[in-house]
Amino acid sequence: MKKQSREIPGRWSQRKRDIGTVVWVAFLAACVGTFVVFAVLDPEALNDAWVLPWEMGSRLAYSLGFLFLFCVSLIASALTTFMIRTGPRRGHARGKGKKPPPVIHAPEDENPDLDLGDWK
Amino acid sequence: MTEQPAGESLYRKEPKIYPRQVTGRFARLRVVSVWVLLGLFYLLPWIQIGGRQSVLFDLPARKFYIFGLTFWPQDFVYLALLLITAGLSLFFFTALAGRLWCGFACPQTVWTEVFIWIERWIEGDRQKRMKLDAAPWTAQKILRKSAKQFVWIVFAAWTGFTFVGFFSPIRELGASVMSLSLGPWETFWTVFYGFATYGNAGFLREQVCKYMCPYARFQSAMFDKDTLIISYDTDRGEPRGGRRKNVDKQEAGLGDCINCTLCVQVCPTGIDIRDGLQYECIACAACIDVCDQVMDKMGYPRGLVRYTTEHSLKHKTAHVIRPRIIVYGLLLLVIISGTLYGMTHRVPLRADLIRDRNALYRELPGDVVENVYTLKITNMDNAPHRYDMRVLNNAAVEVDLSRPLELGPEEVAGISVRLRLPRSAGQGVQHLDIQLQAADDPSIRKVIKAKALMPIEFGKQP
Repeated sequence: MKKQSREIPGRWSQRKRDIGTVVWVAFLAACVGTFVVFAVLDPEALNDAWVLPWEMGSRLAYSLGFLFLFCVSLIASALTTFMIRTGPRRGHARGKGKKPPPVIHAPEDENPDLDLGDWK
Repeated sequence: MTEQPAGESLYRKEPKIYPRQVTGRFARLRVVSVWVLLGLFYLLPWIQIGGRQSVLFDLPARKFYIFGLTFWPQDFVYLALLLITAGLSLFFFTALAGRLWCGFACPQTVWTEVFIWIERWIEGDRQKRMKLDAAPWTAQKILRKSAKQFVWIVFAAWTGFTFVGFFSPIRELGASVMSLSLGPWETFWTVFYGFATYGNAGFLREQVCKYMCPYARFQSAMFDKDTLIISYDTDRGEPRGGRRKNVDKQEAGLGDCINCTLCVQVCPTGIDIRDGLQYECIACAACIDVCDQVMDKMGYPRGLVRYTTEHSLKHKTAHVIRPRIIVYGLLLLVIISGTLYGMTHRVPLRADLIRDRNALYRELPGDVVENVYTLKITNMDNAPHRYDMRVLNNAAVEVDLSRPLELGPEEVAGISVRLRLPRSAGQGVQHLDIQLQAADDPSIRKVIKAKALMPIEFGKQP
């Protein structure tokens, strides 16, 4: 409760912004996709090529087409957001961040007796 | 990257990772896995089973041929089951022993391994490669580098060709490559897949695992404290430190880790396993192999870095066989055996009876009512069959077919069917169960439901 009260009214938390963006962008992409797909594809003509045992009307075809594209776009944008959020932060490539790259040296530096043999 | 002293630049200054070559149990296991998996990939399309390519995904004909079985679009359920099996296996194996998939079976790992073999074969071992990269462009360097690129590109092109060979009969494909008459789409996909192989295995390598692969980020959700993971035994290893061989480590106050940093140098993702479990770790077990060798040379027991569980590292009882594993394992067993049962017991016949849309029914002389349908029938078997058609629940129905139900292997036919009923059979909708059965094999049998329409005469009860 304490944490919530500190939030400024009308401002969204990062998680809310992420979810909102993911859903809305996926919806837009699915709309465009549905337009393009059904502009060149007649669901009535699809009936002959349909393989599953129940029959599909054109209305159902439009709806399923949209929902399918929406699901696919949702998965893609949610995964993208997830990968970016959980990935390394800014400055990672320049060696910044929580963890510096591990320090290494020649094995024999500290262990003069170590016989590395053929895999030196 | 932090600045390294000049003397150490050989190891870390280059942003490119030059993993040291490792030998050992797990390295051998990976070699076996590469040979088996890539062997399957490159050889399967060339093997013929029953006069047909052993694995062929014929997309234009919408048929998949897998080891003598033919899968039709109607067998979609098996694809779904296959995906569920794959997902469950990922859960099962990750919960059991971490990222086994990444270290030994992922195409990214397997092809990268081969590309590194080629690189090592042409450019030499790690030291030679680093020297070669640092050296000026002499004729020798140009020769070696271009030889490597040439072999890489040939191998990648062969990979792309084999990939397309899973979708288009590979023998014919090979013949059209020889006569330079490869179709545009075949060319495109060969080049595309070849380029993807070259880019991923030759250049991106473990960067794909570190930055692009979602599995790495999800792994923690599938791990628990009894999962076998590659870990450094901190209690045994610390305090780490260099030493001479005859030093008594207890007197010197040292653990078993001699801080040779070889575990870091062999790591393809460039992490230090001694810092604990990290999402970059692809569980290739190279650090186990190299550390075991160092322990052997020092005369210490093996296993400072080993497959172990968080519980056993904390000196608690480890339960590798635990409810989670048993539940995943049982589910996996049920789904796999169900899929196999379904695949071996499926009826290779598909039939649909579609009503003629133009007329409800036709009244024929002699108080007979006729309903017209189209029978869409598919013989999904690899042998020809003749089928008998019979109405099970209404003996009065007379079946009239436009042609005998004889279908060749994998033939699809649309046959006009007329069902004639005497007016006395009823009024309104009649529900019929129609059986199709192969004459030579009674197990190939299918019952379809159909509706026959009859005139309704008002005031007269059926």
